[in-house]
Amino acid sequence: MPKLIIDHREIEVPPGTKVIAAAERLGIMIPRFCYHPGLGSFGACRMCAVKFLEGPVKGVEMSCMTEAQDGMVFSTTDPEAVEFRRYVIEWLMLNHPHDCPVCDEGGHCLLQEETISGGHGLRRYEGKKRTFHDQDLGVFIQHEMNRCIHCWRCRNFYQGFAGYRDYGAMQIGNRTYFGKYQEGPLESPFSGNLVDLCPTGVLTDKVARFKGRRWDFERGPSLCLHCSLGCNITSGARYREVLRQEGRFHEKVNGYFICDRGRFGFRYESHPQRPRRAKVDGREVSLPEAVQAAAARLGRISREAGPDAVACWGSSRSSLETQAELRRLSRGQGWRAPLFFNDASQDRKVRNAVSRLDVRLAVSLREIEEADFILAVGADPVNEAPMLALALRQAQRRGAQVAVLDPRPVFLPLEFQHLPVPPGSINRCLCILLKGALSSRAAQGLLEAGAAHFYDALKCSYDQDPGLQDRLLALGRSLQPSQRAVIVCGTEIVRDSTPDLAADFVLLLNTAGIRTGLFYLLPGSNAFGAALLSGTAEDAPPLHPLIEAMERGEVKALILVENDPFWHFPDKDRLKRALDRLELVVALDYLPSPVMARAQVVLPTTTLFEGQGSAFVNQEGRLQWAPRLHHGGAPLAQVGGGSHPPRVFLDYVPGSEPRPGGEILRDLGAALTPDPGAPAVDWWTWLAQENPGFSNASALPAPPGGLRLLPEAGKPPVLSLEEVNRNADRVPEGHLELFLVDRTFGTEELASYSPHIQKAEQAPRLLLSAQDAAQLGLAPGEQVTLRLPGGPLTIEIEAAVNMASGVMFLPRHRQLAWQKLGGWPMLIAYNAIEKG
Amino acid sequence: MNSNPELVLLRNQREDRPATLEEYRASGGYEALALAVREKAPRQICEMVKDSALRGRGGAAFPAGLKWLGVKEDAPHPRYVVCNTDEMEPGTFKDRILVDADPHQAIEGCILAGYAIQAQRGIIFIRPSYEQGAQLLERELEVARQAGFLGQNILGSGFSFDLTVHRSAGRYICGEATAQVNAIMGNRPHPMKGVHMAAQGLWGLPTLVNNVETLACVPHIVRNGPEWFRRLARTPTGGGTKLYAVSGKVNRPGVYELPIGTPLREIIEEHAGGMLSGGEFKACLPGGASTRYLPRQFYDLEMDYDTLKAVGHRLGTGAIIVYDNHTCFVGATLNLQEFFARESCGYCTPCREGLPYIRDLLWRLENGEGKEEYLPMLRQMAGHMAKSYCAFAPGAAEPVISLLTYFADEVREHISQKGCPFKGVDKPRPHLWYPPEE
Repeated sequence: MPKLIIDHREIEVPPGTKVIAAAERLGIMIPRFCYHPGLGSFGACRMCAVKFLEGPVKGVEMSCMTEAQDGMVFSTTDPEAVEFRRYVIEWLMLNHPHDCPVCDEGGHCLLQEETISGGHGLRRYEGKKRTFHDQDLGVFIQHEMNRCIHCWRCRNFYQGFAGYRDYGAMQIGNRTYFGKYQEGPLESPFSGNLVDLCPTGVLTDKVARFKGRRWDFERGPSLCLHCSLGCNITSGARYREVLRQEGRFHEKVNGYFICDRGRFGFRYESHPQRPRRAKVDGREVSLPEAVQAAAARLGRISREAGPDAVACWGSSRSSLETQAELRRLSRGQGWRAPLFFNDASQDRKVRNAVSRLDVRLAVSLREIEEADFILAVGADPVNEAPMLALALRQAQRRGAQVAVLDPRPVFLPLEFQHLPVPPGSINRCLCILLKGALSSRAAQGLLEAGAAHFYDALKCSYDQDPGLQDRLLALGRSLQPSQRAVIVCGTEIVRDSTPDLAADFVLLLNTAGIRTGLFYLLPGSNAFGAALLSGTAEDAPPLHPLIEAMERGEVKALILVENDPFWHFPDKDRLKRALDRLELVVALDYLPSPVMARAQVVLPTTTLFEGQGSAFVNQEGRLQWAPRLHHGGAPLAQVGGGSHPPRVFLDYVPGSEPRPGGEILRDLGAALTPDPGAPAVDWWTWLAQENPGFSNASALPAPPGGLRLLPEAGKPPVLSLEEVNRNADRVPEGHLELFLVDRTFGTEELASYSPHIQKAEQAPRLLLSAQDAAQLGLAPGEQVTLRLPGGPLTIEIEAAVNMASGVMFLPRHRQLAWQKLGGWPMLIAYNAIEKG
Repeated sequence: MNSNPELVLLRNQREDRPATLEEYRASGGYEALALAVREKAPRQICEMVKDSALRGRGGAAFPAGLKWLGVKEDAPHPRYVVCNTDEMEPGTFKDRILVDADPHQAIEGCILAGYAIQAQRGIIFIRPSYEQGAQLLERELEVARQAGFLGQNILGSGFSFDLTVHRSAGRYICGEATAQVNAIMGNRPHPMKGVHMAAQGLWGLPTLVNNVETLACVPHIVRNGPEWFRRLARTPTGGGTKLYAVSGKVNRPGVYELPIGTPLREIIEEHAGGMLSGGEFKACLPGGASTRYLPRQFYDLEMDYDTLKAVGHRLGTGAIIVYDNHTCFVGATLNLQEFFARESCGYCTPCREGLPYIRDLLWRLENGEGKEEYLPMLRQMAGHMAKSYCAFAPGAAEPVISLLTYFADEVREHISQKGCPFKGVDKPRPHLWYPPEE
């Protein structure tokens, strides 16, 4: 490890460390603009000059471009370096407007800081300042090009790191312009990172524009709930509402960056219609009164119709505390075990996936960046878990091979191999791929007996497309020399057995000496926690029987916890009818969802920004903690009567009644059983009894980096050879199989309540392959009407070349009344698709 | 046809049209290629070029043989040769003459370079204003292909190599080798630092970028031997002849092929016809706009890389811009800085912002708004250009540094007289420039 001396202090750093990073380890922040630890070194701004006094490098050099070497001695305060840096800042300030008072970056502007630290005070340049025209870059980013100091970070991120091409540098010299060739919204769903990266006010947060200075905000660490990855976020609130969010570094999860859905999807928290008062039968009451009323009615139903008449339906977006309290409540009262998922298939897939992860197999998002071979199975990263796409890109930039086995026309901002096969064929394709991966080891007799037997029995024919079979075998063979492979497996459109198959294959590859990690995508920010609390797959009541039980009148009361079935249940009319048959619906939520309007008892809950802090478990089993950001209450902007500062003075905080879901459920339990006696065990011990997965954790808040709830060793392979070799199921002639899918914007529940996310949405379209469209005589852009069990649905079609045929995809889009399906995946006959 | 037996590169130059393949072959053209592919190992060609003391003619003067030997024998394929014909250095027009006079000489040089490093593809990167040259090359490449000198299985040797002409989008920085590689790949043409092109150039593969004049020398080296080539020079460390492109206040501006190391006085007085009437040699830029002014005291200096280096100067491209005693050097330097400030690629701060600043100060000096404190500012800023990303800004600073070294009095006169002392006065002001050493 190189040892060097920086400003008379010695330090030892890992090989490959840049000098600027070595100094940072000593707490010496060498001035910089273009260098960013997340992006690397570019040597463009020349701000980080230091003077090398001894060792292999001599003289003034850039600390970001120089690798630390043994024997280096350098000074950050040498007069020559200081004088040069003073000139650099003077040059940068030649054209920078003095508009700090109206610039949103003011107060956390790197240029302000370096101008002061660089000692540039008096303007000597007598020429005119250069000016540019600004562009409208869409709803998220404000462009103010005159402020640009040309650090190149925006371009280096946008094109280099993220791989999108519509924003970049044009012109040369000091007329170099950063923008789009033609004005318009930025195409990348990672554009918000430009705000974090821009060292001055060129690219600022349009959503938070003029809402406050950095020091005005209550800023604190938080978590993103808009997919299952659990990216770390810094949130900022002012006047009782969250106003802006930034990426927060996590070395295992998201690195420095986040996606736009996570950054701008927070406005559900300050939604004007957000439920803030408890209600009983439509009448506003205090929260304790409402809890008492709910307890009385639930108790009566439970006594009169039996505990089985009460059902609980939670969600995968609730915090772990809320989910656990729901489980504890239903267990304590002897009610039906709570459900957390939207349908039986999803329930099964998520639970299978979660049960397969262990310490050896699970990889984190950042570990994907280190992989040399990545196969994504049934996953559409940009739409389902955007930050995964960036991780794949980093891996690919480091030389990894990326392949995607998915029927959708998957787009990724990188070069990858796309194998569009229908979900029913994915398992067989995986078999072929595995056959290819193990072929040379098998030929050399290197497989142990069990694996060899399995290998021999593995079927690898794919009659539908022999060409694809060859491609898969070749892809499998290119996995052979891999040192760190990863299989990414989605849980949305794949068949129920695919998550298990992926895990079995990862185990087999590891047995054969190909180090392979496993990475699942789950539906919801706390789907992992929900799966742990759902018990084993065998004892879970599937969902449709719940609806049936409601329809039959066996279930008389339903507790909905942060769950809006109208958002996700595929048959709206059936749901309505089932809910109407109930005697009682108790709904807890922070969203102004349609089900809140139908509930007899409404109990408003807090979001993760306001409660006492809450825990979420991401898809790799990492328990993470989001502390409270602010104390809640209706935003001042909503109660101030429009004046600023508000002229309404109260001795309480309006709208501050909501409480964390878990607390309300605990109170409900206490009201139902006034004196349960002293609890036998504490919360964590109880959780560990519920599921051994929790035995790693013992207290909240979780440690800063999170805590992985994973067993040391997981299950052995579970699927029988028969199951693995089952033939691909084919879509019957004259039919298309319909799947519901996600879009980056428009299908994720929480973000869809944010007005600016709504503006970024693309109109929903029915996706089908160009081949099927031609067969049906449909032209791209044409309107079709699907005759669905719940009624007709009219939608524009999009025909894609790079997708599997025999399937079609409908986004569960906010703008689309898609809830007319009986269930999904479902078969749609050709004659149920009509033009117009 | 030019019959001067001392000419090497321009031996086939004619006034009316470019030399044809037949004419080139009649003068020994493509003999070197035949010799190389039939009798010489690729490595031997590299060694010959190394022994010939041929140095890069594009301005950096890096020993060509060392560059070629930098491509490792076990390096991956495909490998590329880039022939840099993006001649945009102000004052430099030798490559245009070279290509237009004898295109096959350049083509053979490229093929030999391709053979020496066992490349598969060559790209002639040409300045867009040389469209005529580009079309000529495209036509003659086809002629060479038909004749079996280019393409598959060259001269039946089993060696295959093909060349394409790529027109630059037309910016000065594209002449820089690493920027050129970016430009060819369709990237923004930023120079790249710490990139070893012999290992990782175009698309991450071994790439050789040489100036067209450098490559044009190679057929002669291979045919006549490195020893012969070295003997062409008039200096002990030099090699070959040099195309000196003389412009400015001389009677016969033009490209003159002379043994490298020919003294400046001889170039100007014997070949370029002496100074324009009424003028006296004041200084010259010896190698394009990014070299220092070479004042009168170096008038008898041999124009070679090492001789100029010994006195703190650079030969650059060998494009000699001659100034006489009527020329205002503040104005001349301002003119050069206009070019550099415009052509900066915009990547690093000193170049992007510092050069316009220097231009602004020079403009103020020239127009009577100068202040004494500008001099230390100019000196410091020009010095700091050495700390920029690539060699562009240090080159741009060279005229400024030499202005302040040799003509500081002339600059001060601009300040004290509140304007340019040369303006409106059509007579020489000998007291304003460094007096010749008698």
